[in-house]
Amino acid sequence: MTNVLSISGISKHYGKIHAVNDLSLEVQPGQVFGILGPNGSGKTTTLSIVLELVRADSGTFQWFGEHPGKESRKRIGSVIESPNFFPYLTAALNLKIVADIKEMDYDDIDRVLKVTGLYERRNTRFRTFSFGMKQRLAIASALLGNPEVLILDEPTNGLDPQGIAHIREIILQVASQGTTIIIASHLLDEVQKVCSHVAVLNKGTKLFDGKVSEVLSVSDCFELGASDPVALEKWLHTHTDIESVEKKNGIFQAFFKARITPADINNGCFRDGITLTHLSERKRSLEQHFLELLEEKNDQTP
Amino acid sequence: MIRLLKIEFKKIMTYKVFWILIGLYFLFLILGILMAEFMINSIVNDMNRHLPIPIPHVTIYFFPWIWQNITYFATFRYVLIFPAIIIIILITNEFTYRTIRQNVINGLNKSEILISKLLLIVLISLVITVLLFFGILVLGFSHTANPDAGMIFDKISFIPGFFFTMLTFLIFAFFFGFLIRNTGLSIALFTLYVFIVEPIVYYFLKSPLVFKNGISTYLPVNSILRITEYPAIPVLKQIMGVNLQDSVTAGSCLIALLYAALMVGIVWWIMAKKDL
Repeated sequence: MTNVLSISGISKHYGKIHAVNDLSLEVQPGQVFGILGPNGSGKTTTLSIVLELVRADSGTFQWFGEHPGKESRKRIGSVIESPNFFPYLTAALNLKIVADIKEMDYDDIDRVLKVTGLYERRNTRFRTFSFGMKQRLAIASALLGNPEVLILDEPTNGLDPQGIAHIREIILQVASQGTTIIIASHLLDEVQKVCSHVAVLNKGTKLFDGKVSEVLSVSDCFELGASDPVALEKWLHTHTDIESVEKKNGIFQAFFKARITPADINNGCFRDGITLTHLSERKRSLEQHFLELLEEKNDQTP
Repeated sequence: MIRLLKIEFKKIMTYKVFWILIGLYFLFLILGILMAEFMINSIVNDMNRHLPIPIPHVTIYFFPWIWQNITYFATFRYVLIFPAIIIIILITNEFTYRTIRQNVINGLNKSEILISKLLLIVLISLVITVLLFFGILVLGFSHTANPDAGMIFDKISFIPGFFFTMLTFLIFAFFFGFLIRNTGLSIALFTLYVFIVEPIVYYFLKSPLVFKNGISTYLPVNSILRITEYPAIPVLKQIMGVNLQDSVTAGSCLIALLYAALMVGIVWWIMAKKDL
């Protein structure tokens, strides 16, 4: 299957600062691809390059397996940084301009205004909108004509909890139709909630990429003890979701790849005739895990 | 092309600033045209106080010389500055509101963005020229006794002349807008150049101590305004003799168009190089 987006070896520097450093990525159809990284890690620069706002110093990229150009951009709906519209034009007129640029008719405008909850305000000037409404109009314009790819740069930045929930709902709904989505975010939680795949960036360099469940899985840690430690150790090593087992003072520390509950473990051990004498769950927060990812990699590449 | 113009229309149709400035432009233009004769005659009155034989009062609104007279007064810097400011605002708005970035993201090329503004400039110049054409016809008929077709259209070359003046002056504004990108700064620097910098340079170059030939007349704004250089006023004819212009020359339009082409070229080159 042709990749939706292939980036190979893109670099961009502003003076001495390497905004993006030899970055390669592949986004396949149907993925909800998160680009995760702290502020200044090169997320927006990367998106600006693939949308041809900024020229890369080196490296190439392809959209839909083709050389990029205005025709490929018409197949993409994007929100980059702030919502950019004419303040003195109404919401509907601003969207008509977008439809004209993308060479599509105006039939879809009412639909995207309804999806984003702006239909009632369609004839109001953009200037009078609240920040949340501006952001939603940007998403409405990106959704216009059901694009094959949706690019969202920090889509929930600066929104209130209700606004965040609304936008995530829209994203998940669009993703469920099979649209490929690329989201740049500094919020781990956001990527975890909506993305299927993720690339973690720091200082313009890619640290990891892969499935969210693998890269960002919270390997829940359990401490276990049993009357028969040998049997327990064997049981743990044969468990399908086990990641690693450590033995400390007769207590096992077990890390699992998938979500697992104490009840699952208790049940499983009981079925295999192991009596647990100790079982406690220790959770690492996602944020902590993300910071660890960044730190580990920084240690390796000083 | 139609699509690009349609997009530009949407941006201006409900934009109040655009219509207020257009309104002001036509107000100044019409006032200027209607007061020109009165102003010239008050100068004539002044001169007559010191002259033994008084100069007769002038009339400027009769065929065929009305074409030259009106286009001359309609291309004063003070009048042309209004549409130029409109163009600067329309261009720099795209940078201020970052819609130029959004337009590229949505599927326009940088070249298409430049072409749409140039198309708008051509269209605005055309519309103003056509309106002026009809205005002059009406004014001419009401001030000329028994005009015939040959007499009416004898000096019609001043109409295309006016069009090229407007077109190239607006392209000069386009150049400032795309290079500076900031509304206030572009307007300030453009106005400063047109009203102060170039006139100073002009008189400096004109001074016989500096250059003997007419190099001063080849400055950009001067080249543009020289398409319609003089009004057709009998007094002036007596002073200037055969040197007084009586038609628009292709050469003067060509020089202005060459400047316009150069400016478009520079903008094109910089836009291709620079990130948005």
